[in-house]
Amino acid sequence: MDIGDCYVGWATDEDIRTRGASGGLVTAMLAAALEKGLVEAVVVLKKLGEFEAVPIVTSDPEEVKAAAGSMHSVPIVLSRYLDYGTKVALPAKPCDARATIEQAKRQQVDIDTTYIVGLNCGGTMHPAVTRKMLETVYKLDPEEIAGEEIDKGKLIFETKDGEEHAIKIDELEEEGYGRRESCQYCAVNIPTMADIACGNWGVVGDLAGKGTFVEINTEKGIKILQNAIDAGAVEITPADDKGKAIRAKVDGAMMKVAAAADEKYLAPIEGSHLDYYMNALADCINCGACKAVCPVCACGEGAKCTEFSSAADTYKMSLFHLVRFVHLMDSCIGCGQCTDVCPVDISLTHIYQRFARPMQEEFEYKPGMDMTTPPFFGVDLLEEGE
Amino acid sequence: MNENIFTTVCPGCSIACGMYVREKDDGTIDIDWRKDAVVNAGKLCRFGVRLSANLKNATSRVDGNEVEFSDAVTAAGKAIGDGAAFVSVGNTTCEEHLALMKLAESKGAVVNTGMGAFASIPAECHPTMGVGVPLDAIESAKKIVLFIDPYEQYPLLVRRILAAKKNGATVTAVGWKAVSLADENKTIDPANYGSELALDSDSVIIAEINPSTDPDRVMVLLNLAKATGAAIMFMKPFVNAVGCDLASKKTEQKSLDQIIAEINDGKIKTLVCLDSDLIEIMPDETAVREALGKLDNLIVITSRASAITDVAKIVVATEPLYKKAGTVVNAEGRVLVGSGDGTDGIDAVGTLIGQPADLFTELNSAVLATLGIDVVDERVVPAYEKPEYGAMDANPTADAVETALVYAGGPFFWNGIVDDNDFVEMNLDMVTANSLLKGIPVKITSDKGEVVIKYKVSDVAPGVVLSNVKLPMTTGMATSVTVSR
Repeated sequence: MDIGDCYVGWATDEDIRTRGASGGLVTAMLAAALEKGLVEAVVVLKKLGEFEAVPIVTSDPEEVKAAAGSMHSVPIVLSRYLDYGTKVALPAKPCDARATIEQAKRQQVDIDTTYIVGLNCGGTMHPAVTRKMLETVYKLDPEEIAGEEIDKGKLIFETKDGEEHAIKIDELEEEGYGRRESCQYCAVNIPTMADIACGNWGVVGDLAGKGTFVEINTEKGIKILQNAIDAGAVEITPADDKGKAIRAKVDGAMMKVAAAADEKYLAPIEGSHLDYYMNALADCINCGACKAVCPVCACGEGAKCTEFSSAADTYKMSLFHLVRFVHLMDSCIGCGQCTDVCPVDISLTHIYQRFARPMQEEFEYKPGMDMTTPPFFGVDLLEEGE
Repeated sequence: MNENIFTTVCPGCSIACGMYVREKDDGTIDIDWRKDAVVNAGKLCRFGVRLSANLKNATSRVDGNEVEFSDAVTAAGKAIGDGAAFVSVGNTTCEEHLALMKLAESKGAVVNTGMGAFASIPAECHPTMGVGVPLDAIESAKKIVLFIDPYEQYPLLVRRILAAKKNGATVTAVGWKAVSLADENKTIDPANYGSELALDSDSVIIAEINPSTDPDRVMVLLNLAKATGAAIMFMKPFVNAVGCDLASKKTEQKSLDQIIAEINDGKIKTLVCLDSDLIEIMPDETAVREALGKLDNLIVITSRASAITDVAKIVVATEPLYKKAGTVVNAEGRVLVGSGDGTDGIDAVGTLIGQPADLFTELNSAVLATLGIDVVDERVVPAYEKPEYGAMDANPTADAVETALVYAGGPFFWNGIVDDNDFVEMNLDMVTANSLLKGIPVKITSDKGEVVIKYKVSDVAPGVVLSNVKLPMTTGMATSVTVSR
C-alpha cells in the first residue's frame, strides 16, 4: 500500500456495513483504530436530532460503532475537543480537516498523533433552515424524514414511508434554502489534505452504495487503513480507472458550481467600503461567539482582538472585529461557523473571506491544505504590480 | 476519556435559548451550540457563550462549614418552621418550584416569585402579563414598540426584530437609550402612548417585568394593549419566571421589597430561597445584606454559588440546571425540557415534607396538567387562555430627577456578574457639562457614597447615567446622583 493508492473498501461486520454510509468503512476503520490501540480516542458524531449531530470524544469502540451513518450536518470544530498529544482519530469534512491542520500549526493539535479520516463533502445544511425548507418548500413534516442525499444536482429527502422527494439545489438556494452560503462557494470537496480521503464518489458497478472510495494521502493514512485490514474489520479492492475518472468528474462539476456561487456572493463591494462594513456590523452585540467557534483561532482569552477592544469604546465598529478581520487573513478557511452562531445573523464568514481571499491569493497560500506555515506579512504586497 | 452532553437551556433570561453543555470526566464543562433549537437556532448571547466560565456550582454548607448534601437537608428540616417565608423567582424548573410550594404549604405559607407587579395587579391580567407571544409572531408584526433595549437586556430578540424589519415592520423604541435598529426612538409621556404610538392589532409591544418594575407602568402598557388590540409581551429576567408563575396558580404573593420590609420588622425570621439570590436581584445590595443579617435562618437551596450562598446559614447545593429533570416555560410560553435527570432539589424538599421517593413523577404530572399538555413538544407552543381585563387607573412613578443612575438590566446584571459591563453610559451633553475627560473615569456620587468608573458616550436620555453593572451606592433601579470628574 502506497501514498496515492486508491481503493474501494467496506466493513466486514454486516451490521456496520448496513448502518454505516457507503459500506461502513469509516466506522469500521475508526473502531478498529481504538480496538487495536492505534489511537486512545476517537471523535464521533453523536446524532442528537434528525438534523443535528455533535462531536463527542470516546474511548469506547461500541460508541463508535453506534454512531455509524451520516447526515449532511452543520460543520463542527473538531479541534475544540482534542487534548494536545492525544492519539486520536477523527472523521473530517475538508473544512474540519483544514481547521485541524491550522490548529496543528498553532500547537493546539499534535499532527503526528492525529489521524484525520477525510470525508468528501458537497456542502452542509443548517438544521433550522432545513426544517423550515422541509415545511415550506417540500411540504413535508421534518419528523417524517428518514434520510437525505445530494445526487445529480438535487437534494433528495427520503421519508419514513420509503418515498423520495427531490428538488434541484439551484432552485432551493435561490430561495435562501439548501446548503449554507459558505458551502455554496467552497471549492474543496475531496479532503486531499487528510491522511486518507473517503467518500462514495467513484464507487461504481456492483459496489455502488455498498463501498467507500479511499485515497491514501499520507503514511498515517496507510497505517490506519492497514490496521483495520489487519484487524479483519475492513476489506478493500483496488479502485478502477473508471471510478477514479468519475470521482474527478464529480469534483470538477462541484468546483464549477462553487465558482459561480463565489461570483454571486463575493462580488466587489459597490459604493463606500466603510459604509458597507459599518452597516454589516451595526447590530453586533459583542457576544464573542464568532471567536469561540472559530476553528483556526488559537489565541485563547488573552487575544489581540479582545485585549484591544472594550465594550466601553464608542467606536461604531468594534476593534474586536477589525483586529480579527486582519488577524485571520492568513488562516480563515471559510468554514461558516462564525455566521452560523452569530446571534444577530451577520454574514461574518463572508466578511472574513473578503479580507482573506486577496491576501491568500497574493501569496498563493491556501490555509489548512498542508503543514506549510503562513507567509510573513512584511512582504510588500505592491512590489510586483507597481 | 468520555464526555456527557446535556441538551438544556441557557439560564440567562426568559428566552431560554437552547444549548448543549458538554461535561468531561473531570467535571469541567463547555457549552456547544444547539443549532436545531427552535427558540434560537443555536445562537447565544455573550452570557450563554461565557456560561462555562461564569457558572460556579454551589457547595452544601451549614454555618459556613462544608457538609454532605444529606446533612444540609437535615439542618434545613430543623430550621424551617411555621412562619418561614419562601422565595423562588424562576431560576429553576417548574417541578422544583412546585416541590417548594408543597413545603411552603406544609408550613402554612406560599412561595413568592417576587414580582411585585403580579402582587398588585388584578389576577385577570396575570395571564397576559405572564405568557407573551410566540417569537415567530414578532417577525410577522407590522409594528413593534420596544420598552426594552433588546441589545442589552434580551439580545436574542434582536434577530427577531431585524427579521420583522426585513418583512416590512416599523420599529419604535421608547426608553433610556436610543436603540440602533429602531426606525424612531422616542421619549413619550405615558399619558400619550396611545396617541403617539398609533398601534393596532398587527402591532407587538415588548416590555419587561422584573422584581423592581413599577406595577403602574405595567398597567399603563396593559391599558395600551387593550385599547389598541396590540399583542403584548413582558420579558422576564429569569429563565423560568413564566413557568414558576404558572405553577404558582396566582396564590397571594409578596414583592421582594415587602419581604425585606417584613424581615426588617421582625415578622420574618426564617427565609428559604430557591435559586434566588436577593443580593444580586435587588438594586440596593447594602440594604438587602443588612436585612438578611437580621434573619435567624437564611436557607438557600441552589445550584449556583453566588453572593447569597456566602451569607446563608444553610446551603443545600443541588445540581446545575443543565442536569436537572423537569420543565421550563419561556417568555413565549413554550415548554422546554432538557436531557438532565437530576432530582437533588426535589429529593431535598421531598425529604423535608416526608415524601422522599417518586416526588418528581407526581410533580411533573402536575406541571403538565397545569399547562394543559400530555407531553412536551418544544416545537408547539401550548394554547393559553388570556381573559379580557378592564382598563385600570395607573399613575406611574415620575422618573424626573435631575441626574439619575439607572440600571439597564440584562443577564449579567441579574446574575451579579461583572463581565465587559463595568462602565456607565451617558450622553455627550452630560459629559461636556461636567467637564469629563476622554479616557478618565467619572465619579458618580449619591447620598450613599461614590464610585469611580469608566464611562462611554452613548445616545442616552438627558440626565441619565445608564449602568449594566451593580454599583454599591444605589438605592433602587434609579438613584439620584451627581456626576463629576
